[in-house]
Amino acid sequence: MATVTEPVGASVTGPTGSGGPGGRLRGTWVQALLVVAVLIAGYWAARLMGSPAWAGGFPTGVGESFMAWLDGIYEWIVANRNDSPLFLYFFNYVSVGLGSAVVLINQFLTFLTWAGVTALGVAVSWRIAGWRVALLVLATFAVFALSGLWNEAMTTLSLIITAVFIALLFGIPLGILAGRSEGFHRGLRPVLDFMQIMPAFAYLLPFVLLFGIGNPAAAVVTAVYALPPVVRITALAIREVPKGAIEATTSLGSTSWQLLTKVQLPMAKRTILLGVNQTIMLAVSMVVIASVIGAGGLGDAIYQALAKINVGQAFQAGLAIVMLAIAMDRVTGAVGHGAHTPDIPRRYRLPLWGGLLALVILVTVVGRLFDLGGWPREASLDIADPVNTLYEVIQSSIGTFTAMLGTWTLNWVLSPLSALLTGSPWWLVVLVAAALGWIFAGGRAAIVCGAAFVVIGLLGVWDNAMDTLSQVLVASVVTIALGVVGGVLMSRSDVLAAIARPILDAMQTLPPFVYLIPAVALFTIGRVPALVAAVIFALPPVVRLVNDGIRGVSAGTIEAAVSQGSTKWQLLTKVELPMARGSLLLAINQGIILVLSMVVMGALVGAGSLGFDVVFGLSQNQLGLGLASGLAIVCLGLFLDRLTQGRRAPRA
Amino acid sequence: MPRLLSKEALLRLFAVGLALVMVSSCAVRTDQLARDPNTVRMALNGWVGYEASAVVLQHILQEEMDYQVQLVRLEEQPSWQALDQGVLDVILENWGHEDLYELYGPEGNDTVVDGGSTGNEGVIGWYMPAYVAEEYPNITTLEGIKEHAEVFRTAETGDKGEFLGGSPGFATQDQGMINAFDLDLEIVYAGSEASQVTEVRRRYANEEPVLFYFNEPQWLQQEIDLVKIDFPDYYEGCDADLEFVDCDYPLYDLNKIFRKGFVEDDDHAYRFLDNWHWTNADQNQVAAMIADEGMDPSEAAEVWVEENPDVWRAWLPEGYETR
Repeated sequence: MATVTEPVGASVTGPTGSGGPGGRLRGTWVQALLVVAVLIAGYWAARLMGSPAWAGGFPTGVGESFMAWLDGIYEWIVANRNDSPLFLYFFNYVSVGLGSAVVLINQFLTFLTWAGVTALGVAVSWRIAGWRVALLVLATFAVFALSGLWNEAMTTLSLIITAVFIALLFGIPLGILAGRSEGFHRGLRPVLDFMQIMPAFAYLLPFVLLFGIGNPAAAVVTAVYALPPVVRITALAIREVPKGAIEATTSLGSTSWQLLTKVQLPMAKRTILLGVNQTIMLAVSMVVIASVIGAGGLGDAIYQALAKINVGQAFQAGLAIVMLAIAMDRVTGAVGHGAHTPDIPRRYRLPLWGGLLALVILVTVVGRLFDLGGWPREASLDIADPVNTLYEVIQSSIGTFTAMLGTWTLNWVLSPLSALLTGSPWWLVVLVAAALGWIFAGGRAAIVCGAAFVVIGLLGVWDNAMDTLSQVLVASVVTIALGVVGGVLMSRSDVLAAIARPILDAMQTLPPFVYLIPAVALFTIGRVPALVAAVIFALPPVVRLVNDGIRGVSAGTIEAAVSQGSTKWQLLTKVELPMARGSLLLAINQGIILVLSMVVMGALVGAGSLGFDVVFGLSQNQLGLGLASGLAIVCLGLFLDRLTQGRRAPRA
Repeated sequence: MPRLLSKEALLRLFAVGLALVMVSSCAVRTDQLARDPNTVRMALNGWVGYEASAVVLQHILQEEMDYQVQLVRLEEQPSWQALDQGVLDVILENWGHEDLYELYGPEGNDTVVDGGSTGNEGVIGWYMPAYVAEEYPNITTLEGIKEHAEVFRTAETGDKGEFLGGSPGFATQDQGMINAFDLDLEIVYAGSEASQVTEVRRRYANEEPVLFYFNEPQWLQQEIDLVKIDFPDYYEGCDADLEFVDCDYPLYDLNKIFRKGFVEDDDHAYRFLDNWHWTNADQNQVAAMIADEGMDPSEAAEVWVEENPDVWRAWLPEGYETR
């Protein structure tokens, strides 16, 4: 997601250039297999010895006292939220301020009536993005209205506006600082990595604690969740401003401030807008998840529909969110490249804005005269019933087959893997993790991998973490396999790519909740439906990155290979995929992180393990357990992240 | 360090100090959040019975009394926290939670008030479909469940029987009962009431065995035939240690919980909610319309309100029309 722009650097420094076809790579895989064989041998040895205490799971003593300590903090906050200066003068300011902002924006949108809001949206999007996007925005508002979710959509919109505003307010300055200062950038990177690996559910709990329940906490958590891309991409954009331009400016005696505002920002503007775009998309997806902590709007509509297993209703609300996301994506995207902006002579621009404003005011006045308010619920189309019927047909036709497939996966893949990881001596697992890190990514990564596992043990959630790891591994393998195939297919055909792109857009913005209930119906309850939901959720970016990577291979290289008589298969496996290695690695990386975040939500359908503990901590106010499990997931993420990033250029 | 004491630096220091003084002169409490006095903010917990109560009250408050009602979907514990913080006004259907009442009630933060019974009585227990009970005649007793735990084995639980839990947010003592009665069962949490119901329905349709945590009043009880397992009755203190509970769940007299400030305002909305009192049959009627017939909740509320004016008219406070 956020790191889309990074493969360039990674691919250059990767061992792609090690000429000999696969020589070293093959060695790597043999070593890795050996390490895994050692793990399996250790597991059986421990079992044969009757699993003595020294060869079992990680002792939980430290973790328990850590959780108790966190629970103590929670109790203190509950008792002192309205006494302690820390809250009275800081956290409460933020929560009351943001909560009130959401209420005010919502009231403003209500004041405009549906007619005014539509007029405003269409006018603005036409002016900055052209008539095609304006039509899309109109269609979006039509979906809000016809699905009977107008008021919910306005609440969501208010939340997104507040959260994105906060995210940009902090994100762009942070990005600029990181772009201008290497040290700051180096310090910030692990924080951003951490933020992106942390599952959304694990965010919710501490934010509820600090900022309360409902819209305030939802706005803060959404802002924080959506922050990383804008920081990263802003920093990147500032860095990519050509050295020549900067030197020319400084040699003319510009101050640092002038350099920033006159050269760096204008030149980086388009890339920064890409980051803004990404931030908005993340905000849209988080706003839905935040309904778990009492945020209203479309997310809440989905949440409530799923509570009644009304897939149709959930689909309707999901459609509204997808439309919202796509419309916002197109509008901000258009600001970025400015391709479709209507070409209007300078002297007409101000009058035009004035005219549009007058139009919006006029429509609003008319709307208020007729007392329109939100779109009437009676005048809505119900697509819930047909969707439910379709869902039942699918369930009855392939339900038995999928249930069998699910049981098979459970018995032959998930359970053995989970047993292997939880049943092996903990120190052996730590050593294996470190060894894999060393094999795939070098000494530094080995230390990180080993340390991540030790921390998981110290957090006191070893068994659950190993179980989660088994689920993540299986889901990741499936995701990557499907993603690479999908990406390759997409890169072969422009038509396919054109069809697939909006679908991928929609899939990426569709709230994860929606995937869960049909998954339950098809695969029963437990780890398998969670796995399926995770795969679907993580697939789009993988497909997209693979496609981009392959398409990014220079035409010259391909021509050279073709002229030497390569077959299509050779071209793909010997030229395109190796050349796109950076993108592939990034795709694997992203896929795994997304799988991780979805696995937590799998707890809502009985996937258990770490995800369950996070959800449990959230709904039972057990901060210790919830946060420890959240941290353990981050540690797992770190391990998988380091493992898949590959060897980097040796640090100077 | 002469620069540190320069005029500019002093000025800055002064400005920061001034800002700090201004900020600290107005401490913000969480209940100062902007709020419309005409809006009643209700928690909406995750089971259908609760929603039935909520939408009926919402309908009457909006249509008869001209209030706005905001339903906020939350788990039970966070709902209490929301009352404590002043983000919500009322929890309509509370199942027990003495510990939370101690924490937030008059003995603790003194931010919530027990609003008395809703008239609904709640039962929590272990249930199974009637066809399982018919096949193994004594399985609804403690001895029977001990003997036949293997009936409930699934792929997920291996050689132990599966006990299907509900939402992690519900109040449970299942693990304690499994420990105390030495049952060969493992809990699998469905994760939410919705997915639990989906799973139970699926197995019911295939006549597969299933043993699960469930409650009454619950609309599904009317759709499918369930049997509750008899455990030794609840007695005072048997659930003190949640790792070892040698009794069944207690019977719950479901009650309302109000935010203290809401009670102190004492407006019509509060009096109306305070007067509200209805039966399990009333609630089930609405809940079944919502969940079973797939009716829109607000429509279901409208139907019930139209059919039962004599019930709800009695809840309206005196002089509500003049508001």
